Amino acid sequence: MMTTNRARIELTTATPHRVLLATAAAALAACIFLSSAHAAETRKEARIDIAPGGTVNIISGGGSVALHSGSGRQVLATYTVHSNKIEVDQNSSADKQRVELRTHALPGQQPTADEARVDYDVTVPAGVSVNVSTTAAPITAEGLSGDIGLSSETGQITISNALRSHVRVRSMTAPISLKDVTISRVDIQSAGGAVQLNNVTGQRVAASTTSGNIEYHGDCSGGGDYILTTHSGAIDVTLPPTASVDLSARSTTGTVENAFPLQERHHNSFVPQQGRSFAGTSNSGSSSVELQSFSGKIRVKKQ
Amino acid sequence: MNCQQFQEVLPYIIESGGGGEDEEHLQTCQSCASLVQDLRYIAEQAKLLLPMHDPNPRVWNNIERSLQREGFLSEGRMPPLGHITKNPTSQAQAKSWTPLGWALALTATIVFAVVLTNYKPRQLPQNQLTAQNSSAEPSQFNNDDRQLISQLSQQSPDARGVYETSLRDVNAYISDAQEAAQRDPQDATAQELLQDAYEQKEMLYQMATARSLP
Repeated sequence: MMTTNRARIELTTATPHRVLLATAAAALAACIFLSSAHAAETRKEARIDIAPGGTVNIISGGGSVALHSGSGRQVLATYTVHSNKIEVDQNSSADKQRVELRTHALPGQQPTADEARVDYDVTVPAGVSVNVSTTAAPITAEGLSGDIGLSSETGQITISNALRSHVRVRSMTAPISLKDVTISRVDIQSAGGAVQLNNVTGQRVAASTTSGNIEYHGDCSGGGDYILTTHSGAIDVTLPPTASVDLSARSTTGTVENAFPLQERHHNSFVPQQGRSFAGTSNSGSSSVELQSFSGKIRVKKQ
Repeated sequence: MNCQQFQEVLPYIIESGGGGEDEEHLQTCQSCASLVQDLRYIAEQAKLLLPMHDPNPRVWNNIERSLQREGFLSEGRMPPLGHITKNPTSQAQAKSWTPLGWALALTATIVFAVVLTNYKPRQLPQNQLTAQNSSAEPSQFNNDDRQLISQLSQQSPDARGVYETSLRDVNAYISDAQEAAQRDPQDATAQELLQDAYEQKEMLYQMATARSLP
């Protein structure tokens, strides 16, 4: 009995020391880990002069790219590099017409996808063109005007509040979303990514996919050409009753459904086929809307 | 000899090797040559099924014990353990299991014979054969595609799957659009779809090329 008690006493006195030691070791390890992580993660800020009508090119792999509209004559670029195996090159042409930010691996380094991440936050003056190309990094553009060219293999592309712009978007499987992009010219191509267009209007709005679905919500205003094309994806269009459109929908082997009131056209470039195609106008038919699919389903609905 | 006549005597050709007229047809018809090559390969592989070896008796014992332990097999549903352990020599074991091997091999041979006898490829009118050859396998890649995929695999193996899927889809798109445009050359929509399909493919190549830049 005495032996047991002594052992218990020894145990109880020894335990706080051990706990203390273990805590100290863990804290030390955490400090080392945090300091090394902090050293690998580098945030930089750059202000780069750009001429009116100039172009900003950003090339990156993973991470993210956020674009905003600003004023003045400078591009404000903030970027966070997540490892010391990669770096960002900043270049500017002598005439300040072209600014380039390019992510690349350092010689002899083979960063993993996680190590290759760079998060960009870039503010560009109004009217400056922007071209962004990424492999996996999502791209968001808010409030830009001018030429906007965005391309990503798998990173989601989101554009909102763009006015009087020429928007060119390309993706492999990345979803594409445009919201409140008005009085603009829009060209979208995606192999397998879904395309969502909310209140997107202009002289020309064209979206084409191989297998991705296309959704359009808006009034197709502006007397423009709206062309939505897909091979096997579905096309869903929702129009308000006020929409003034001259609409045609055709699916070669898929089906079409119309729940939007259209007046029959007198002349068609094709003979409408029940369940496969339809055409008609609403109001004064000021905008042309062409919906084409090979095997996907086309639906037109009233908002 | 045309393709139909050739395929009627196909079982004889596979068995005996065929005669002069058959050989002549094979020289000129890529489709039949490919078919014969595939069937000969199957025949060779079927032969390999015959010398089937059984696993060590301990494997069966372990499986049986595991099944009994898990409650999937009650005692007596399989021959008792002693049944195999009493005859541990490979000869005895082969004696008890070889009929299964032969049965499997025989089944495979019968299935192969039935497939060979009943094989009737869909016959298309001659004027459609050329079109079919160009789009017969929309999911396949052409040489440029293969080269592109190979280069991407070396540079970035992660990207391979994405590009392969996209190329396969876009090739199917091109194939479908070509067929539609050929069916009705006056159809403007079909022409537009074909142009769009090519533009999609162009985009994939441009994206892949841009990716490969340093």
